[in-house]
Amino acid sequence: MGIFDPVKGFGVTFGMMFKKVITEEYPEIGAPAAPRYHGRHQLNRHPDGLEKCVGCELCAWACPADAIFVEGGDNTEDERFSPGERYGMDYQINYLRCIGCGLCVEACPTRSLTMINFYELADDDRQKLIYTKEDLLAPLLPGMEQPPHPMRLGDDEQDYYVNGPELARGRGVPSGETVETSEEKAVQ
Amino acid sequence: MTADPITPVLTKRWLSPQSWRLSTYEDLEGYSALRKALKGSPEQLVQLVKDSGLRGRGGAGFPAGVKWSFMPPNEDKPHYLVINADEGEPGTCKDIPLMMADPHSLIEGCVIAAYAMRSHHCFIYVRGEALHPIRRLNAAVREAQAAGYLGADILGSGFDLELTVHAGAGAYICGEETALLDSLEGRRGQPRLKPPFPAAAGLYAAPTTVNNVETIASVPYIVNGGADWFRQMGREKSPGPKIFSISGHVERPGQYEAPLGTTLRELLELCGGMKDGIPLKFWTPGGSSTPLFTAEHLDVPLDFEGAAEAGSMLGTTAVQIFNETVSVPWAVMKWTQFYEHESCGKCTPCREGTYWLAQILERMVDGHGTEEDIDTLLDVCDNIFGRSFCALGDGAVSPITSGIKYFRDEFLALCESNKRELVGAQA
Amino acid sequence: MTMAPEEPKVEVPEGHVKLTVDGEEVIAPKGELLIRTAERLGTVVPRFCDHPLLDPAGACRQCLVEVEMGGRPMPKPQASCTMTVADGMVVKTQRTSPVADKAQQGVMELLLINHPLDCPICDKGGECPLQNQAMAHGRPESRFRDKKRTFPKPLPISTQVLLDRERCVLCQRCTRFSAQIAGDPFIELLERGAHQQIGTAETADVLDMASRTSSGKPFQSYFSGNTIQICPVGALTSAQYRFRSRPFDLVSSPSVCEHCSSGCAERTDFRRGKVMRKLAGEDPEVNEEWVCDKGRFAFRYATASDRIRTPLVRNAETGELEEASWTQALRAAAEGLAKARDGKGAAVLSGGRSTVEDAYSYAKFARVALRTNDIDFRARAHSAEELDFLGSRVVGTGPENGVTFHALEHAPLVLCVAFEPEEEAPAVFLRLRKGARNRGTQVVHIGQWTTPAVDRTFGELLACVPGAEASAVEGIAQHAPDLDESLRAEGAVVLVGERAAEVPGLFTALHRLAERTGARLAWIPRRAGERGAVEVGALPTLLPGGRAVTDAAARTEVEQVWGLAEGALPAEPGRDTTGILTALVAGELDGLVVGGVDPNDLPDPALAREALAAAGFVVSLEMRPSGVTDHADVVLPIAPVDEKAGSFLNWEGRHREFPVSLEGTGALPDCRVLDTLGVEMDADLFTQTPAAAAGDFARLAVKGTFTASDAVKVPFTAAPDVPHQQAATPGAGQAVLATWRQLIDDGSLLIDEPHLAGTARAVVARMSAATAEGLGGHVTVSTDRGSISLPIVVADLPDGVVWLPGNSPGSKVRATLGAGHGSVVSIAAGGAR
Repeated sequence: MGIFDPVKGFGVTFGMMFKKVITEEYPEIGAPAAPRYHGRHQLNRHPDGLEKCVGCELCAWACPADAIFVEGGDNTEDERFSPGERYGMDYQINYLRCIGCGLCVEACPTRSLTMINFYELADDDRQKLIYTKEDLLAPLLPGMEQPPHPMRLGDDEQDYYVNGPELARGRGVPSGETVETSEEKAVQ
Repeated sequence: MTADPITPVLTKRWLSPQSWRLSTYEDLEGYSALRKALKGSPEQLVQLVKDSGLRGRGGAGFPAGVKWSFMPPNEDKPHYLVINADEGEPGTCKDIPLMMADPHSLIEGCVIAAYAMRSHHCFIYVRGEALHPIRRLNAAVREAQAAGYLGADILGSGFDLELTVHAGAGAYICGEETALLDSLEGRRGQPRLKPPFPAAAGLYAAPTTVNNVETIASVPYIVNGGADWFRQMGREKSPGPKIFSISGHVERPGQYEAPLGTTLRELLELCGGMKDGIPLKFWTPGGSSTPLFTAEHLDVPLDFEGAAEAGSMLGTTAVQIFNETVSVPWAVMKWTQFYEHESCGKCTPCREGTYWLAQILERMVDGHGTEEDIDTLLDVCDNIFGRSFCALGDGAVSPITSGIKYFRDEFLALCESNKRELVGAQA
Repeated sequence: MTMAPEEPKVEVPEGHVKLTVDGEEVIAPKGELLIRTAERLGTVVPRFCDHPLLDPAGACRQCLVEVEMGGRPMPKPQASCTMTVADGMVVKTQRTSPVADKAQQGVMELLLINHPLDCPICDKGGECPLQNQAMAHGRPESRFRDKKRTFPKPLPISTQVLLDRERCVLCQRCTRFSAQIAGDPFIELLERGAHQQIGTAETADVLDMASRTSSGKPFQSYFSGNTIQICPVGALTSAQYRFRSRPFDLVSSPSVCEHCSSGCAERTDFRRGKVMRKLAGEDPEVNEEWVCDKGRFAFRYATASDRIRTPLVRNAETGELEEASWTQALRAAAEGLAKARDGKGAAVLSGGRSTVEDAYSYAKFARVALRTNDIDFRARAHSAEELDFLGSRVVGTGPENGVTFHALEHAPLVLCVAFEPEEEAPAVFLRLRKGARNRGTQVVHIGQWTTPAVDRTFGELLACVPGAEASAVEGIAQHAPDLDESLRAEGAVVLVGERAAEVPGLFTALHRLAERTGARLAWIPRRAGERGAVEVGALPTLLPGGRAVTDAAARTEVEQVWGLAEGALPAEPGRDTTGILTALVAGELDGLVVGGVDPNDLPDPALAREALAAAGFVVSLEMRPSGVTDHADVVLPIAPVDEKAGSFLNWEGRHREFPVSLEGTGALPDCRVLDTLGVEMDADLFTQTPAAAAGDFARLAVKGTFTASDAVKVPFTAAPDVPHQQAATPGAGQAVLATWRQLIDDGSLLIDEPHLAGTARAVVARMSAATAEGLGGHVTVSTDRGSISLPIVVADLPDGVVWLPGNSPGSKVRATLGAGHGSVVSIAAGGAR
């Protein structure tokens, strides 16, 4: 045992003081996930605020963990939630079951369902981890209007689907970005 | 009576003053064949028509005598004779002038044919748009009725026949015999499933024969002249005279009677040659449903066999002549639009196929075609031809396939990649 | 020496031909369509318009195959759905023929060019023949890049059926079904070419015009749901099932329709413990592939918000029903019933909608626990004559020895007496129409007016005044000798409905007619459980298996099987429904067990209410609050058919068994409730489960005693013998009432079905022009109890007769008038409603 040995330990400590800190101050300071991280789902909207979900249940069918429940509903002239005939009346994702695989996102025919980077999916109550439509719907951006409301951007759903990007430009979504990406940023 | 190929038979009375009157008709041998026919037996008449080799003038060329012999001999159900006067094929205009100029020859033919088939009710289904011939036919029927050529106990023979002139509602498909029968019954004019064929279960599910106007109008001459005389005209397998409807870029378009087997070169002489001397580019031998011919085919004998050997069909002998100023794709597009409009909608290939073909052609003529479109056109035609319920689909694709066959360059010229000035599209 | 193996020579049986399909030799019956022959060999040729029960159309051209006849290939591919087999034919399907394969791919591509491809939002997506066949026989990518034809969508062609013309492939299945099978040509093809579409004459303003067709008749079809089921694409969808779920979410279970006595096979599709839809099941012997709209769409009564899910016991102090535990409720019920039984006695009204097992439990409960023959399932007009008829001519019959659907289709003549096939047993109507259309079955109706069913069975009406049906039947020999002669033909059938119980002497007359002519006689009740209830002895005169209660030997047999002491079964016939109600009012009975009876269905609803009020103790086994639960001391909730297993006997006597669709809902079947109630009363029923009840009944059921040659005669009890009476003669300002229920009306199983209710037939009064004279457009029909005002439609009724729908909105004959078929009512001009 050498005489400097007790000091050597301090040397390590002292040395560390000048290195870059890798500790993450979570939860005080949020840690951003990787850009393509499979976090919470989001149900997107058309540029006028109508929901993109048509309640087709293909996400539920694609889900290997049976985490998704969807029931379709009938849009009426007085109460319209999405362009076209059908909307997702009931939409639930059970995050106790979800494995974050993203197959549901691939299955979605309208690009209504996407995943955002939000990963704080823990709770002490099982019930709270079943997210419903209210929890999953994207927030209203400027220019959007809370459904139900009539189609603002065209006469029928084809206008929404075929001319989607142009419509988005018209509602102020910057070029090179989709409604989804801009919403994602808003969430972050 | 001797037959000279140039002497008109079917059209011989057309230029007589008031040729449609009964008196004119009677003066010119009218109803003499009927008196002769009623003395014979129905079997003899059927045999006579068989011997004459008369073939259906509506397009398919089925031997008329054979068709008549399909009618059952017993009479436990009424027999019907239906005359198909729903002349709608683009370019065809032979039945309507015949009914205008010489309605009594048709009526006389009807009575003889009905007698041969033991039918006591005959219907003439006339195209609804042809209002004037309908009026004239109705007047002629009234005249014949008053003179005892129609109605009960015709000319004291004990044979009864009622004749009804029925106006269609303007549908090309009703020229198809079973669709015509459905329309006559008051249903939607759509072709029926065969079998049962009309001879077994036709109009009102009773034995029925459907014949073209020109076929039936030929019958009195056969009765008067005999089978051998009839066979002197035309060719071995396609005997008899025929009315050729010549239209388009010729000096004197119109109806020209000539024996079957006459060539276009001969017909062009009759009608004064090409208009203004502009050379011939393409022509149809028998309406738009028959594949196109070009200048190469000037010497094709126009009878059922000759046209078929040259790769087309005789059809209704509606000769449409187009000169160098006409764009083939444009003409084909116009025809295809006609078929799209007239498709009855019953079967998928014809209903959807013509809809698609018309759109492609419209796009091509508009200058937005691609070379791929030409392949698509041919493949879609292949998917329609022989797959549709009735012959409308087959007819709809023949201008396209033959047009691309002979004039592919013009279609290629329309493609976006090698766009040139579109020839004749403004016509 | 070696011998070459001999080719086995295949004999071609008579009426068959030999042909080659895809290189395989096959023997097929003459007249078989190529598409079916190929299917038998395991090659499914894709198709849209072809349907085995519809006439061939050849419209879609999807099923093209290559055919060679007599060694010569046919120049064009042929539609295998229209071409029949022929000897020596060589057929090549898409499996072996590139031409057929290309043709099919080509047609598929053409079908898809105008299809919207909106599968994600289409109800058919996932079970769509177009989708499946496009996957199997279609091109991976379309070459179509032009403009699709579009239509506004969806277009309601009735309140129930929605039409999406963009998805339609114009196969004409729906129009052919309507014209051929149902005979309601309410939809037709319109326009032509690519613009051809399905529509009613006034689809544009269909909602305003109450869906009128070109002939000016309102759109009504009791069978419209079938067009939705046979649609090979998502062009026809139902308003009820619209967007409710996807096929892959659904769990299917076979089931049997609980609405009428036809016993149609159905398929119940449910999701998360809730029935989403019902579809027609396939049973060639019974309903083929069709069901009526009531069977298809009326099932939400089971999920009604007021469904009783816990036992209720009436609080003696407050007089209110209060929720209780099963233990409490059963104890209270047992105590009350035991007390009543030991007092003046207790009776059972079991209702006509029970399964065989439940009805058996009621029958056994009455005999074993209540020790009485006072049990009657007939919650409708009834008579003692009917009891004799049921005992002598109905019980014990089955498909082996009685009339069947097949027999109806093949009969030379069917005589319908006091029976409205389309309203009371739609599957019977479809068979009658099929027989009449395909085989020329003559259908004769003894009724009051030419109903749509008379028209569409190509039938003949023998009109008579209500109540005079018996005289009419008696008079056949004298006044209609040709009909009498036809009835003697082999296979002739007479059908009688529930209304016959309201005509004194009719059962007797029919019995004599059948005896005299040899025609076969069948009873077609309206409710699903009635035929079974007869068999299990839920009647005052019959024990299970058709044994007469007055027969000592039969009683001994039943006592032995039930393990009862000798002489335990009462020997006297019990009271019938009206007898029980009268006795309750008179204080001759104390207690009453009621299962699924609506007082308004009974011959005298006022008497029923009085009796329920007067009864000392009432136990009600019910699903929803009713006129009975209002008076009940104990209400025990029971399971609807979807939540229990069981079986019905249909009118043929055919056993229609079904498993439980929704498991584990906690709802108990009647048999289980009664078994437990029996235990509380020290009586063992051994009916804990439907299977146990069925096993117990099997030991008493009539079986194997009859052969086909036995005809229908099964003399258990004496044949009915009641003289027929003259029909009532109305005075001035009066008329004789004719009435029966319409299929879609205010029945208790039809609640919560607004879309279905929209397709009900118009509620109108019908009478002859002479009777209607001076009444204006409206009539008020009244008795001393009440009155009904309805618009008049003139029909070919006999003069002095008015017809009213039995239980439709605004026309509840029993409840309002207290009158029935054959009663005399007053008629007067009525104000517009």
